[in-house]
Amino acid sequence: MNYVHNMITDGLAFAIPLFIMAVGGIFSEKSGVINLAIEGFQGFGAFCGALLATVLGMYTGMGTQTTLYFALAMAFVGGSLYATLHGLLCIRFNADQVISGVVINILGVSLTTFLTSQLSGVFYGSASNKFTLGVSDRFSVPGLKSVPVLGAVFTNIYPFEIIILVICTYLWYLMYKTRFGMRLRACGDHPQAVDAAGGDVARTRFIAVMISGGLAGIGGMCFAYSLLSQFSPSIYLGYGYLAIAALIFGNWSILPTFFVCVFFGLARAGGYQLCLFMGLSSQYTNLFMTFPYVLTLLLLLFFSKRNRPPRAAGEPYDKGKR
Amino acid sequence: MKTISNDFGVKIKSALARFLVNEKWTRLTVPLFCIALTALLSSILLLILGKNPLTAFYSFLAGNGFAAKAKYGAGVGMISDFFQFLNIMAPLLLAALAFIFAYRCGLFNIGISGQMLLSGFLATIWVGYAKELSGGIAKPLVLGIGLIAGGIIGTIVGYLKYKFNIHEVVSTIMINYIISYVTGFYINSYYVDQVSRSSKVISTASRLTFTKTMVLGNYCNVPLGILIAIGMAFLVRFILERTVFGFELKAVGSNRNCALYTGINVGRQIVYSMMISGMLAGLAGVTYYLGFTNTIIPKTLPGMGYDAIATALLGNASPIGAILSSVLITIFQNGSSYMSSMVGVAKEIASVITGILLLFSACGQYFRTVASAYLRDLAEARPVRHESGEEGEENELRP
Repeated sequence: MNYVHNMITDGLAFAIPLFIMAVGGIFSEKSGVINLAIEGFQGFGAFCGALLATVLGMYTGMGTQTTLYFALAMAFVGGSLYATLHGLLCIRFNADQVISGVVINILGVSLTTFLTSQLSGVFYGSASNKFTLGVSDRFSVPGLKSVPVLGAVFTNIYPFEIIILVICTYLWYLMYKTRFGMRLRACGDHPQAVDAAGGDVARTRFIAVMISGGLAGIGGMCFAYSLLSQFSPSIYLGYGYLAIAALIFGNWSILPTFFVCVFFGLARAGGYQLCLFMGLSSQYTNLFMTFPYVLTLLLLLFFSKRNRPPRAAGEPYDKGKR
Repeated sequence: MKTISNDFGVKIKSALARFLVNEKWTRLTVPLFCIALTALLSSILLLILGKNPLTAFYSFLAGNGFAAKAKYGAGVGMISDFFQFLNIMAPLLLAALAFIFAYRCGLFNIGISGQMLLSGFLATIWVGYAKELSGGIAKPLVLGIGLIAGGIIGTIVGYLKYKFNIHEVVSTIMINYIISYVTGFYINSYYVDQVSRSSKVISTASRLTFTKTMVLGNYCNVPLGILIAIGMAFLVRFILERTVFGFELKAVGSNRNCALYTGINVGRQIVYSMMISGMLAGLAGVTYYLGFTNTIIPKTLPGMGYDAIATALLGNASPIGAILSSVLITIFQNGSSYMSSMVGVAKEIASVITGILLLFSACGQYFRTVASAYLRDLAEARPVRHESGEEGEENELRP
């Protein structure tokens, strides 16, 4: 019983940051800019957040639980500023979007690693490759948490899970119910139509890429405050790529992607708990950790026939194209 | 006075533009231009940090045996550094070729690291730990296992793409994770060296690099891999440029629908190109794990899989270009430790410089477009007035 309980709490704690990264990816790809750069965005965003948190912690004496919120906001800003680089390359300089994404990732890893080792020397006196952050507190909803099985959803929640769900609900509204969202989706399917209707394709795409970077930054910051409890190059675990897989599996729409992320999270935590349950040595967790990936591949065999990416994704907008 | 300086500016600009646009040399001049920009930007970066850029660049070269270091240990010299440089360049070049082969067919093989890891792992446990095999048998076996293991993974990815429409980026990422965890499990359970926490060292006979070989009085690590890598580069070039198969492959890459209408079997091309890409990645894996190093760190995908993408991109996705770009990238990556010790900057700056270089080369096509548009405008403006270069490049381009 306890294992199922842990599976749900840990699974959600993993799934929800992954979800916000995937939503970021959806925004960018729906606007017609392929986004392989999520991994780089999340790392850079988390770096900015961690930097602010360290500075605040040192000079104002705020505790981890307060700086967390500033760090999240800063991660959003940092991530979206870094994303302007991807936007510039893809939209202004007409670079190959896939290549640009890879370049942004490589630059992100090297830049944050370099800056961390330079700056940590300033803060801690001796150079190291990390900023220590601590772990966010968790809370449980009284009453609801004692519901059998489903109560696990309301136990040991990280505050950022709630923040992310609120943001993503708003983003869902923005994407599907507003004029901006409609334009954004049109930019990914038929940018010429948007142009003809008086919209600005480049601007819309740029905003979408920046949103994408900011959201990925938040996601990265959450992993830094939960799984890792620090910022270091180990933040580049490949979850950005996993988010891309999730959004492709979720067919580029927000709600299905949410379920895919939850599925990933549960499969990941489930494999771990199953290993504990069967009393196997910790070596075997490695085998069980392949669960989400094997399952995804199997499920994709059945579901990806009807996958439909945005039609104009990957093409720089060309006014003269028929 | 003003007209003269403007005239001069126009001349320089148009010379630069002609340099970039020149049909025959553009494949070389655009990357050179990017390298020059990178050198400029990274010099500024180093100056901001208060270091001498010239010392830094010299140390990069010295770290790879292209220039003399201040002092050497006993029995090693410039040539040892040079062989070490070749030693790490070999897998990088092979991995870049793997990327190029898939990329020319319009596929994005992001799973090079996984393919490298699996082939390296299998070759290690099957041949590397078989102490009784002699070098003449072990080395071809290692290469064979690399080719087959990588090829199988590639084929699976291609088949999933062709039959089930699973995007190759997704399937390769999933397969990367699976390979990383499964090999990690086996290494940790059965093959771990308790002291170093990585896999046990392989036998010398199976290693593709002859370590501590005496060359001109210096101990060198002579890599077999570099010959294979350069040979493969020319082979890939031959396949892509001189065979029907290569032509069809590129046709699928440039326009899938058009290729379909002309009767090319698109599915078959996809599977084959992923298979060959995987085989090259497998070769990269064995030259990395059973050549450059001799152990495997569990649960760690080689970062080279991603660097390879960068290398391929810098070389215009052409096999010969990849040779040049892998030289350049290796100089930065391999020379970083020596540079760091000489100049006193964290060695990660090498990756930053590589990143900046990539950033510029991603814009290569754009530079070229700007240059040709500039020349066109200039040619149109010439009969009327001379000083059209006044506003700078950006403004003149506006139609």
